[in-house]
Amino acid sequence: MKARKIMVTGASQGIGKALVEHFLALGDTVIGVSRSKSDIAAENYHHYSADVALEADAKRVFANVKKQVGALDVLINNAGIARMNAFALTPVDNVQEIMNTNFMGTFIFCQKAINLLRKSPNARIINLSTVAVPLNLAGEAAYAASKSAVETLTRIMAKELGSFGITCNAIGPSPIATQLISGVGEEKINKLIQQQAIKKMAKVEDVTNLVDFYLNPNSHMVSGQVIYLGGIS
Amino acid sequence: METNHITQIVLNALSLTNESRPSTHQIPLTDTTVLFGQNGHLDSMALVALLMDIEDALQEQSIDVSLSDEKAMSMSRSPFKDIPSISQYIHDVIAAQA
Repeated sequence: MKARKIMVTGASQGIGKALVEHFLALGDTVIGVSRSKSDIAAENYHHYSADVALEADAKRVFANVKKQVGALDVLINNAGIARMNAFALTPVDNVQEIMNTNFMGTFIFCQKAINLLRKSPNARIINLSTVAVPLNLAGEAAYAASKSAVETLTRIMAKELGSFGITCNAIGPSPIATQLISGVGEEKINKLIQQQAIKKMAKVEDVTNLVDFYLNPNSHMVSGQVIYLGGIS
Repeated sequence: METNHITQIVLNALSLTNESRPSTHQIPLTDTTVLFGQNGHLDSMALVALLMDIEDALQEQSIDVSLSDEKAMSMSRSPFKDIPSISQYIHDVIAAQA
């Protein structure tokens, strides 16, 4: 398999870091983006410290990626934040912060990536959503709404970018033991898992598996789809 | 930036467009060729691709502009009709930003 050029946002921890390590092991060139620095050191790994919600940061990242790597085959928008709170008590500042990172960050990075992706024979955009969307999860109003926006964005981009040969899909992981849900109580996680058809915690490898499916050149007819883990639909 | 220079950037971008089109659908690079609108050679997505190529070329010269805003799309006389009108439009956008 020819080495690919893959950008992953939210690359310094959790699912993002696991994806970076997965692609590096396959021999791909990986561009990681996160607000913090990365502890990954590899010849074909390039890290950019940036806030995905800031257009100026995105412009800087893509201008440098163009100089450094020339083109992109894949963009994975994984950067995301969550703040659990009752809707009635959620500070508006928190909502803004969640929407900025989860939705605006995804929107901006997708838009800036188009020109680099257009040159790829198997161009892919994969956005990370959550099972909180189909479950309409109480206590996750802002987070689920931001990811709902990401899902709609994904479906519309699939239509608009199809003529450029870019497929756009999303993955909605069920609970995985990462930093993102570290503040959520065990009882709440267990209750959530009981709503799944497959009643167990997912692993980052389950996300990697879906990513590999979307990236497979044979998946060129798959676009505008959201696949949830755990048997949730 | 001189209009002649901008026109050259537009012509280069159209040459890129032609590279991805079959020989039967090449866009003639003349001042009177209708690019977008009634009887135009470009559909809306092909226009988007052309504008992205132009923005990309301008960015390489450290000119950061957005060419496809709502105002441009709703102007009664489309600035994207032909090569002279696009070139003039880009000139105006850059001048307004300066």
